[in-house]
Amino acid sequence: MLILALTSRPDLFKCGAGILNLSEVTADLLSFIKADMTNDIEFDRIALQQFAFQFAHNKPFAKFARARGKTPRTVTSWTDIPAVPISAFKALEMTCCRPSEAEALFMTSGTTSSLSRGKIYHHSLSVYDASMRSNFSKRFMGGVERMQMGILYPTIEKMPNSSLAYYLNLAKRDFGKPDSSHLIGEVGIDFDRLIADLVRAETTRQPYALLGASFSLVHALDGLKERGFSVNLPTGSRILDTGGFKGQSRELTPNEFYNSLSNIFNVPRSHCINMYGMTELSTQFYDNGNTDSPSVKSGPCWANSRVVNPLTGADVPKGVSGVLVHTDLAHINIVTTILTEDIGIETDDGFILLGRAAGTEAKGCSMAVDEFLTATRSIES
Amino acid sequence: MIIEHAGYLPGVDADLVAWQANLYGPEGDQISVLLPVLLERQVVQLIGHVREQARLKLKSRPLGQIIDAIDLTISRLLDRQDPYRRRMDHLLPIITGYDREMVRLGLTSYLKTFRKPQLQRFLAEDFTNPTILDSFQPLPKGGLGRAFGPKILTHVWAGNVPGLPLWSLVAGLLVKAGNIGKVPTAEPMFASWFSQLFAEVAPELADCLAVVWWQGGDEVSETAVLKESDLVLGYGQNESLAAIQSRLPVTKRFLAFGHKVSIAMVSAEALNASKVSATARLVAYDVARYDQQGCYAPHMVFVEHGGSVLPKRFAQYLAYELAVFEEKFPLRPLSLAEASGIVSWRNMEEMIPGGQVFFADTGSWAVSYQTEESFLPSCLNRTIRVIGIDALTKVPAILAPFSDLLQTAGIAAPPEELVTLANSLGEVGVTRIAAIGDMTSPEAGWHHDGRFNLLDLVKITEIDGRAEGAADQLASYDD
Repeated sequence: MLILALTSRPDLFKCGAGILNLSEVTADLLSFIKADMTNDIEFDRIALQQFAFQFAHNKPFAKFARARGKTPRTVTSWTDIPAVPISAFKALEMTCCRPSEAEALFMTSGTTSSLSRGKIYHHSLSVYDASMRSNFSKRFMGGVERMQMGILYPTIEKMPNSSLAYYLNLAKRDFGKPDSSHLIGEVGIDFDRLIADLVRAETTRQPYALLGASFSLVHALDGLKERGFSVNLPTGSRILDTGGFKGQSRELTPNEFYNSLSNIFNVPRSHCINMYGMTELSTQFYDNGNTDSPSVKSGPCWANSRVVNPLTGADVPKGVSGVLVHTDLAHINIVTTILTEDIGIETDDGFILLGRAAGTEAKGCSMAVDEFLTATRSIES
Repeated sequence: MIIEHAGYLPGVDADLVAWQANLYGPEGDQISVLLPVLLERQVVQLIGHVREQARLKLKSRPLGQIIDAIDLTISRLLDRQDPYRRRMDHLLPIITGYDREMVRLGLTSYLKTFRKPQLQRFLAEDFTNPTILDSFQPLPKGGLGRAFGPKILTHVWAGNVPGLPLWSLVAGLLVKAGNIGKVPTAEPMFASWFSQLFAEVAPELADCLAVVWWQGGDEVSETAVLKESDLVLGYGQNESLAAIQSRLPVTKRFLAFGHKVSIAMVSAEALNASKVSATARLVAYDVARYDQQGCYAPHMVFVEHGGSVLPKRFAQYLAYELAVFEEKFPLRPLSLAEASGIVSWRNMEEMIPGGQVFFADTGSWAVSYQTEESFLPSCLNRTIRVIGIDALTKVPAILAPFSDLLQTAGIAAPPEELVTLANSLGEVGVTRIAAIGDMTSPEAGWHHDGRFNLLDLVKITEIDGRAEGAADQLASYDD
């Protein structure tokens, strides 16, 4: 009884959490990333360590967790860590460091239903970089150290708060050959440059990698088709697309999209990789090519995904669709576990992404929130 | 598996119609609804037939006979043993997902508002002398007038709240229009059954109405129907309504009923220890009924400080009552998108400084208590915002910027306050004041969104007072 009484004293616990500091938590994580070996016990240990750290230093998160009866004392497995809905990043400063001390601030794009943009503070980008590099090298580069790259996305200077711009910049900096380039200029895609790069890759027989937002690739496809251009990129060339079309280009089915890519660039669908990433995470998920669609996505050993019933948080059985929850140990300054608005199905090797769950319409004649926001915007304007 | 045919297509050879099967309901309890997919030619043929038959059989029929036919149809539907009613009770919960008991009780209380006396009240509400729909009647200004309904009145219905199409369909019959109703995919059966039964009960009027379907956004079918219509009633979100409007020639009239937001208000007087539970129960009922999908259901409740129970405490009472309703009438199964929406909403509400959210572990209801006096709809499906406010008289100013979107205000307040509030709420655009607990069941003859249900549908042909005198001069008995 005495022991029970002692361990339930919050001040004693606080001391325990106080021992944790950022460099310790970071060091453990970096070695886990470096080892890159699936190890459930170690994953669980680091996740709980990070939860304790974030609970101690991320005030809004602690409040969120406490309201759900989740504290470092009651959470005994990584699956118990409360998942923070991505909308929380819009309302709160979900960070362990002071915003002014953060090295980088990434912001979500203001989509239709958002009142404001989500803010994600990275105390240091070293962990993000380590996670991205290890994973990108394994899942996209296919064993090649550097390739000539064309980036169909604005530069990080143009979009300083875009995590995707940062990611693509990092890809170019650390995996691109010196003649790699960003191909989006002031007035959209620089087709002269793109065509020149593609022709050069074809003539020199040097593999080429084209990376960008899915909708930019659609614009590139359309522009090249208009110019009657197609190219036989050499074996080993790859394409990375991410983010879907978001109403910024024509909507294509996965089959139409990957068939067009492989027709115009001569890159087989097995080498067309779709990356699924979120500003609200520090780790990305990839498929192993798009020979078959929809493809199965998975993350590295430091990021685990679950498919849950969003209302109860309980896992749904394999093969049943639910909402994706990601536990990303590299999201160290923020929270490990987020509840997305993406619908997925768990498979043996990962998950299939089915699309977004947001933007529901009212079933009856009562007004839905999204419609209200649209309507009031028109009132304001 | 049960198979039902949606639609009602008089004058069209059913063998030549293509049908699209849609499945409704959870696995193991699914039913298949066959939705008619009409060719443009068939649409034109159908509307031509209804127009002609309405001209022959409806226009000259005394209103009393039409009322009798509707009344008889409704009395059949009120009979729980009637085969049509049994199908409604059995299948509407499967199609819409709403709780079985809620649908059964809801249908009965709703259908009761369409009996003969209620229909007469409905008419009296809009016409001092309803026989103006039958023949020329003296007008107060002099001369005579007769009200004519449109030759073809098209209804584009939306949503899954069972029974809603009945309002406009009955209105269309009362003004002797040929009616073409387009059912939504979300709930295509109620209007179909009603029309099939109406045809059975009143065979002489069977060809004066039709129920059709097309996939939302199918421009070809929509344009074909709109082209043949004289007056169109549209329900749904502004985007769909704008699309309809853009396809209608300027000479045709279009009455749009967009989605609306309703609110409830609870005064300090309704918050004393002996009344608070009942007050909370009534608000919970308005929230639980059809899971707030009707436009008359509250999105938020403004609760006045100064009673013996504080607004925040009231939020907890409300949470308790919602939990009780969940036992009695469980929430309909939600899609992942809807469930996600609730989690996101709950979370946003929780993050507002001073906010606190009470919710079920199962996610089947949520009450958000807020101190910030702002106007933001809830995400429906039994989620409601309780806003503590110093005085209810401050509410109209909060609503004022959203004038176009407002509909019902449910009020629990003493008589003088009710009238004072009604005045200022009316000024900012609220069109219906109801008691809490009655918000979701408008009375017969109510003015939907503040408009005249019947009067808006007719044109008056008048005989100028002087025309009588002029005609007199041409009479054989003229000296």
